[in-house]
This record gives sequence, structure tokens and C-alpha cells, in this order.
Amino acid sequence: MISIHQRASPAYICLPLVIICVVITFNLLSHTLPGLSHGSFDFFVGLSAPEAKVMSTAVVQFSVLPRMTIALLVGAALGLAGVLMQQVLRNPIASPTTLGVASGAQLGLLLATLFAPGLLAFGSEWVALAGGAISLLIVLSLSWHRGLAPVAVVLAGLVVNLYIGALSTVLILFHQEEFRGLMIWAAGSLAQNSWSDTLHLLPRLVVAAIIAGLMVRPLGLLELDESGARSLGISVRKLRLLSLGLSVFITASAVSLVGIVGFVGLAAPVIVKLVGARTLAQRLLWAPVFGGLLLLTTDLFLLQYSAQLPSMVPTGAMTGLLGAPLLLWLIPRLSLKGTAPNTSKATLQLTSKPTSRMFLWLLVLLLVSSIVALFVTQSTGGWIFNGTGQWASIVNWRLPRVLAAAGAGVLLALAGTTIQRMTGNPMASPEVLGISSGTAIGLIVTIYFSSDVTVPLLVLAGSMSAVITLAVLILLNRRTGFQSERLLLTGIAITALFDPLRSIFLANGDPRIQQVIAWMSGSTYYVDFSTGLSALLLAVMVVALTPLVARWLDLLPLGRNVALGLGLSVDKVRLILLALVAILTAFATLIVGPLSFAGLLAPHVARMLGFSRALPHLVGSAMVGALLMISADWLGRQVLFPQEIPAGLVAALLGGAYFIWGLRRY
Amino acid sequence: MLFFLDNLLLSFRCLGHAPTRVRGLLLLQLFFLTLVSLNVEAAVSSLSQSQNASLRVAAIDWTLVETLMSLGVVPVATAQIKDYQAWVVEPSLPEQVVDIGLRAQPNRELAASLNLDLILISPLYSAIEPTLSQIAPVQTLTTYNPEKDFWQNLVDTTRRVGELTNHSAEAEVVIEHHRSRIDQMKEKIAMDTPPLLVVQFIDDRHVRAYGKGSLYDMVIKQLGLQNAWKGETNMWGYTTVGIEELVTQGYLVIVDPVPMSAEGVFDDNRLWQALPAVRHDRVLSLPAVWSFGALPSAVRFADELYQALTEQHATEPGLRNL
Repeated sequence: MISIHQRASPAYICLPLVIICVVITFNLLSHTLPGLSHGSFDFFVGLSAPEAKVMSTAVVQFSVLPRMTIALLVGAALGLAGVLMQQVLRNPIASPTTLGVASGAQLGLLLATLFAPGLLAFGSEWVALAGGAISLLIVLSLSWHRGLAPVAVVLAGLVVNLYIGALSTVLILFHQEEFRGLMIWAAGSLAQNSWSDTLHLLPRLVVAAIIAGLMVRPLGLLELDESGARSLGISVRKLRLLSLGLSVFITASAVSLVGIVGFVGLAAPVIVKLVGARTLAQRLLWAPVFGGLLLLTTDLFLLQYSAQLPSMVPTGAMTGLLGAPLLLWLIPRLSLKGTAPNTSKATLQLTSKPTSRMFLWLLVLLLVSSIVALFVTQSTGGWIFNGTGQWASIVNWRLPRVLAAAGAGVLLALAGTTIQRMTGNPMASPEVLGISSGTAIGLIVTIYFSSDVTVPLLVLAGSMSAVITLAVLILLNRRTGFQSERLLLTGIAITALFDPLRSIFLANGDPRIQQVIAWMSGSTYYVDFSTGLSALLLAVMVVALTPLVARWLDLLPLGRNVALGLGLSVDKVRLILLALVAILTAFATLIVGPLSFAGLLAPHVARMLGFSRALPHLVGSAMVGALLMISADWLGRQVLFPQEIPAGLVAALLGGAYFIWGLRRY
Repeated sequence: MLFFLDNLLLSFRCLGHAPTRVRGLLLLQLFFLTLVSLNVEAAVSSLSQSQNASLRVAAIDWTLVETLMSLGVVPVATAQIKDYQAWVVEPSLPEQVVDIGLRAQPNRELAASLNLDLILISPLYSAIEPTLSQIAPVQTLTTYNPEKDFWQNLVDTTRRVGELTNHSAEAEVVIEHHRSRIDQMKEKIAMDTPPLLVVQFIDDRHVRAYGKGSLYDMVIKQLGLQNAWKGETNMWGYTTVGIEELVTQGYLVIVDPVPMSAEGVFDDNRLWQALPAVRHDRVLSLPAVWSFGALPSAVRFADELYQALTEQHATEPGLRNL
């Protein structure tokens, strides 16, 4: 048995990749350099040589070869970063992309390009490093209180990724033309036209590899338990800090050159481990090798067939697309240790405080915010505080939006509360389940393939894809009885599909971008009175029905066994609740887009206000959700007047701010 | 500034005067030319004043804005004026034009307060047509229709905008004026001018190459020239490629703005220097022209191109003088 394992080696999967790469490379080069096949190729051609020859040699020398080299180096860098992260966090699904490091680095560069271009001259990788480090810190502090359990960490990573996505969407929405270049870079294009990127990355990678090599032994001891490692004289904290810092640095260096390359950092370490690299030293050696080859193979395939594609597909986005199915395949094979729902104190606190006064306060706030949203606005002449004489404009333009925002807020809040109570995970939200992303994918694809985009068409496409996403979720989780950890991971994988698709669309600089972004960022702009009214009516109806599920949601957080013991058929209940969450989310997404944090935020705020039992919690968070979305919609209309920031984005920005502020409490 | 002067010089030439490229006389010419162009504008505006000029029009799409401006109709409002000024540049908008926010989501409350009589949009923004039509009648004008002749599309758009704003007479004047400008230039351009590859830099590694279906391509063909880009293009007539694809035996035409990150390419990039066009010093640089524009942008692109080619021919031996 052992000997079989020892014979299985990552070399067996690396070799075929090498062969594929060589074949495609030869094929590509023989097209560019006709002399190659007869062996009459000289690499160094003076500028006096015949023109065609100078050009084709230059293309090979300064475009093809650097591109292949950078693919190998970036793949290796991400593979190395992935191994380090997975080792330090003892987390099989940690990687630069899942932990939000890559997108943090990217946001840093976006912000610097727009607001402080001087910083980039100083060194874009340091900007990227700062961004990556900050987002990793946020991710780790968000999951700290759960002992950095793998799923908690990755979930926090997803939340940070979503938040960064919202931030960069705002930037793109308002700077569409300036961001032409950044969008391509962001999607991970490996195109090269000199050796400068290679010369930049190579020394950094070598140094990082040497440091990682020196840390093999102490890092290997982390696989034992911490006290064991400590007793051997290792400062565990310093070791962790150093290796995490190292992995962020390598990621940032790679990202600052070629943008986000999805999932190589996750796939390389996992796959080499699966095919037999069992010790850390083996993984540190093979993951970069395999990562480099994986990226090179993908890139060569794209290079080979890109001429047939009418639109550009950047390699980084492509690996991202390939990575999502890989993650789906991986999930059932992961051992997720020590992540039993850590029921927080608030959940168990069954004696609820007197909450009626709180309800009253919320009601007052709701009323005030609705009045403000309806009657106060900016105009070219300044603020207008009175709506008299503007009834037409209030009824036409403001009322539908307030109704829709409130309705969507309630629906998302209910979905969020349900999913958080059901999974026992405070970071769970409808966005995290992937239903919002699935809906958005449907919208993007529709807009891309139809020349005449109408609202009913989008509604149809959105609901269809929400249903498909739900079906995928159910199919993949039916066998495991809708176990919460796996459910959330499936959602993460679906969400992971959304980012690369968005990147590809944006990278092509299609003039329809603004339309798509406006839709994706969730504006109440397109809502008319009847839609707004029906959204709110639906919301009220669902709230009225909440007593039906309240008992389930009181019992589920107590754990599967307790719930079973109390006579709850857990699997069936989970399926029903899941379907419910999906429907609510799909409706809300169509109105306010996939990015709002209302579903994550409202249940938290409601719990903080003292609503702990299921029924008050549901109703309380519904009110908070409505309040949040109404305020977000109003703020979005006023802050950059006359430009309007979509309500979904404002809510996401507010929600993210809340989380960063709330970190102190963890 | 130089481009501006050269521009005037060109229009001077187009009016049929003999060209004299003596820089010292430039200021004198500028003065004279300004007078001439003022007269043309005055003629157009006196025409417009004679008709019903009180129609209050808003245009969401920049292509329609420039068409309106060319007819002497100043729109009451449009979207993203700051970006318009950076990307469309000409014709510049007077200060009283109200900015109503994003093109995809114009601020309706603001638009409603402007007492509009007409809103013009392109099919790109058809999703907001129903809601805008509550404010004022909305007209959707299709300029980019791959099934029809591109120049004819622009002419039709101009004519339609003229009809809708009661400026049909001006529309015909403008169409005729632009047509004759193109014809004049076409006549003077050497038939053996090598093909042109028109690109816009996106960053230091990527460019947009404009092929069939783009405004630049259409203008090149109207001038009787050839487009060197034969590759696939998207619905809007361009594609994103790397520098290594820019191999042409003819001219490489770079349309501004060149992003800051790309400026380094021209100095020390070996691949760039190996490009045939660069080796033979056949790189032309043109100021920003809106790549999704209407007649004014088309003719402005033709002007700039003609101008650059003329200068190039003056310095390049072996090619027939224009």
C-alpha cells in the first residue's frame, strides 16, 4: 500500500502537461518562424536582416517566449503562495483568490491608478502588497473567533471578495472609458512584449522560494499540533506571520504584473497532494512546477485558438472558469475538521429581552426614512426639503423606488436570517449561496447575446438562472443532507464562476458595459410603480408567513441531533428552507442586484438589537433590511447628484463598513 | 494647440487656397481662417434662428449630441459631460448644457424638471426607453447598424435628427458640407497610399485594432484608402490584440488618448521597434476622435488623417506628393 503511494508521483501529471506544451509551442512557432521546421532558425537576427524575418524573430523573442516564461513564473508563484497558505492555515481550500488576497491587491492598484498615480511610480507591487495584506487581515479577523476554521476563513474571504467587487464596480461605473486598460489587466491577460516582467518577477520568486525552503522543517511541524511545535522551540506566531507575509508578497508581485489569475493557487497544491506529494517539502517543490505548467498549458491553448474567438478571453479569467468546477469536485472530498457549528451565545439565549420597544423604534425609523426618501432631494439649485407641488415627481420617480427598495430589503433580510440560522454560520448570506451570482450570470449572458435588451427579457433570464442555480445546489447537496458547510462551499464555487465571466465581459470593453454594470450593481432605477408595489406586497406576505417556519429556525441552530431528537425531519426541513431562500433571493436580486449585503447585514443588526428567537429575529431583521435598503437607495440618489449610485452598491458599501467596524467585537 | 493650428491650416486648404507651409505665416493664416470659419457658423446659426428654435431636446447618447451640435441645436441636457469632453472633445458643449448623470441611468427627476420636448437615445439604452418616455417623447436612433452602409447610416441619423428638431434644411447643409469635405480630401489623396492600420492603445500590452464595422474603417474607405486590419472584429468593429499583431507594410495610425502606462512602449520596447511601420517611420499620431461618433467625428477623423498623411508625404521620399 505504502509503496504504491510512493510510486505515485506528481511527475506523472506534470509530464503530460510538458508534452502538450511542447507540441503546441512547436506548432505555434513553426507558424511564426517558417524556417524552424527545417532546422534553419537563427535566434539572433540583426536589424539589417530581411524585414519579415526581423519581425517574426522579434515576435518570438519579445512576445511568445516572455509570455510563456511569465505563465510559468506566475503559475509557480501562485502555486507556492497556495501551498504556504494552505499549510499555515491548515486549510485545504485556502489560496490567494479564496482568501481575497488577489482581489485586495487588485483593488489597491485600481484605487492608486485613479487617485494616486504617483504611488504606482514608486512601485505598483507595494501598492498591491498593501491591498492584499489588508484584505487578508480583514479575512483573518472575521474568522478569528471561529478558530480560523477552513470554511469560516473561506467564507470570510468570499465576503471580502464580494465587498471588493462592489467597490470596484462603483469605480468602473463612473470611470468606464478610463478603465479600458485596467479591465484587461484585471482579467489576467498574460500578453507580453518584453522581458521586463520576467526580470521583475524571477528574482522575487527565487528569493521567496529560498525562504520557503528554509522554513520547510518548522512549517512541517505545524502539521502536528501547535503545542507540539511550540515545545520544539518554534515561535508559531512568527512563523505563521512570516509565511503568510511571504505568500501575500508573491501573490502581490504576480498580480501587479498580470492581474488576477484565478484558482491556480488553489488547484496546484491540492492536485499535487492528491496525486502523491504527501510531505510539505514535496508539495513546495511540485505545486509551483505544476502551477506553472497548468497556467502555461491553459495559455497556450488560448493562444492557439484565440484567433477563432471574436472576443478576447484573458488567461486569468479562463483559469478562474476552470477552477470553479474543480472546486465543486473537491468539496465532497475534503475533510473539514473541527468546524461543527459553534452556536454563538446569542442563539442559545432563549430568554429574549423585551423587544416590543425595539420594534417601535424600528417602525419609527422606517417611517422617518421613508418620508425623507420621498420628500427630500437635491436639485441643480441645491437641497429641496418640501415636496409640495412636486407630487408628480414623487409618485413617478421616488415612490416606486422606495417601495422596491423596502421590498427587496425585507426579502433579502428574511433569506439571510433563514440561511444564518439554518447553517449556524453568522457569515452565511444569500449572496454566499451563489443564487445572486447565478442570477447575475444569467443576466450577463443574456445581455451579451441579445442586441435588444428589454426589461421583461432580463427578468425572464434572471429568474431562469436563479432556478438553475438552485437546482445545482440541491443536486450537489442532496446526498449529504444539505449539510451547512458543504452547502456554503457549493455556493462559493458558483460565485467563483461569476467573477471570471464578469471580467471577460469587462475586458472586451463592450459599449454595453455600463448597462450591464448598472444592472449588476442593483439599481431600483428600472422599477415602475406596479413592480415596486408587488415587491413590497410579496415582502409583507412572506413576513406574514414567517410564523410557519419559526419553530424550525428555533430548533435548527441547536444542532442536527438535538433537532432530530425534538422530532424535526432535518433533511426535509433544510430542503424546504433552501428553496425558500432561493426564491426570496432571486426576486430580490432582480430588483437590487447580486451585490447588496442586506442579507448578511440585517440579521446581524437585528441580533445586536436583542432579537434572538426566530420569530422576532425574522421580523426584526426584515425591518432592518427595509430600513437599510431605503436609506441606501436615497443616499445613492443624493451623494453624487446628478449621477445615481445604485442602491445595491450603496448597501454593500455600508454593509462592508459595518463589518470592518464590527471587527472590534470579534 | 499645434493640432488646432494644423487643423485650421487644413480647412484653409480645403477651401481651395494654395497651401503654403511656412510656419512664420501661420498666425496670420489663423486670424484669417478664424474669420472664415466664423462666417460659416454664422450662416448655419442664422438658418436655425429662422426656424422654430425653441424645441428643448436632450440626448443621452454622445453620437446624437455631436449630431445635434453640428446642426446648430444645443441640447438642453446630456449625460456625463466631463467624459464627453475627454473622449468626444469636438464639438465642445456650451456651459448651459445640464449634466443628467450616467448614460445608462440618467437622472429622471432632473430631466423631468427641464421641460423637455424630445429625448434622443440610441438602441444601446433601449432599456430606459419606457421610463424616459414618461418625461418626454423618446426617439431611438440607430446609427450602428451593420446591415447598412455606414456612411449612409450617419447621413440618415443626421437627417432624422434634423427632421425631429425642425432643422431639416441645416441637416442637408451639414450632410452636403461633410460629403464635400470627404470628396475634396479623397481627390487629393494619392491612390497608391499604403494601407492603414488604425489602433488605440489600451495599456502597454494591448491595443484596440479597428476593422470592418468601425467608424475609422468607414472613413478610410470613404477616402479611397485601404484598411490594413483584416482580422475578426466585434459588433462595434474593433478587437483587442497585442502589439505583435500590428504588422503592416503600410501606416500605423495611433489615435489618442494614449494612456500613461503605454507611453514607455514607444521609447524602449524592442518588439515595437521591430514593427515594419516603426522601422520605416510610418507611424501617424492623431488627436482624440470619438470612435463611436457621427458625421462630425467621421469628418474630423478624415481631416486629421489627411493632415497627418500630408505631413508624412512631405518628409517621405519616394512617395508621390499630394
